[in-house]
Amino acid sequence: MKRLLHPWLTVRTQIALGLVFVVAALGKVADPPAFAKAIWNYQLFPAWSVHPVAIVLPWLEIFCGLALCLGLWVRAATSWLLALLLAFTVALSINLARHHPVDCGCFHLGGPAKTEAERLVDLRWAILRDLGLMLLAAQILLATRQPRQE
Amino acid sequence: MDLRFPPRTPLLQAFALAGLALVVGTLSNVVASGQRRLGWLDSPQAPSVAAHSAPTVTPPEALLPAPVRPAPAATPPLPRPTPKPPPAFPPDPTNPVREITTAQAWQAFQAKALFLDARRSADFADGHVAGAWCAPVWEADVDTQITIFEATTKPATQDPLVLYCSGGDCEDSHMLAGKLLKLGYRNLLIYRGGFPDWVEQGRPVQRGARP
Repeated sequence: MKRLLHPWLTVRTQIALGLVFVVAALGKVADPPAFAKAIWNYQLFPAWSVHPVAIVLPWLEIFCGLALCLGLWVRAATSWLLALLLAFTVALSINLARHHPVDCGCFHLGGPAKTEAERLVDLRWAILRDLGLMLLAAQILLATRQPRQE
Repeated sequence: MDLRFPPRTPLLQAFALAGLALVVGTLSNVVASGQRRLGWLDSPQAPSVAAHSAPTVTPPEALLPAPVRPAPAATPPLPRPTPKPPPAFPPDPTNPVREITTAQAWQAFQAKALFLDARRSADFADGHVAGAWCAPVWEADVDTQITIFEATTKPATQDPLVLYCSGGDCEDSHMLAGKLLKLGYRNLLIYRGGFPDWVEQGRPVQRGARP
């Protein structure tokens, strides 16, 4: 367990997780309408919330990702990213459960049209990827927790 | 609560990150071009009519002008003014938003109905139904585009307007129908197959930005 929480590993995990979110957010920041459409397609959010989420969420990903890469406010940034990953996983799982093949909108927005079967496969992979990223976030939170003061 | 700057506790830091994202996101949205901007308070809404229902298929014959009976040969032709043919797509007061088939879309095109493309402006520039107007429902300047369309073509509220997007499960044309319904248009025809179907049928297309 001590090896898994070693600072050497934690720093690299922070940088990897931070970079993933910065890269994922760049496309969304560049084209908010495409991201808004991706959110709308999930059919989980009330209509009034779609545009505000599409405007703010990518920047939250960028700032949290940068904070992790720079080693600033690590626990706060990781907590946000863990919460986001949890929300993404739930949203993807609900759509997978109801056989509603949405485009993930995680990294690539738009692009060539895919078949329903392809999108369902992509959904499964996206859930697996999010679970893996959640493990990275959990590693950072465990490694950076403060010892209890007696 | 410790309110010193920079914040010391993870909870305050988390709030600070969210606040930063809110401020920068809002500012970046304000300075973005119309094609890349979102309205904070605009909410995407599709009309309840036929959004997910099966297409209301009207037989093409019913949409064609009534055939004119030839006059009996014995009767000499009277110098009467030629009656105006009935519109190819008469409005249906009970169903202002209808879905139309591929054949009907082509028929509407031949009848010189106005076409509106609800896809993103970049997709429109890549190719669109010949003569269509760009009304990218996800972009902040869609209202401006609709105003330009109205000012240029001056459509009557009963005129058939054909709306399309990318086909499949694309809902953009339904959302555009919702906007046009609010503006008073009552004869909105949604071409469900959309642009991919139009291309597949080998119908006339154009490339280039908004007219």
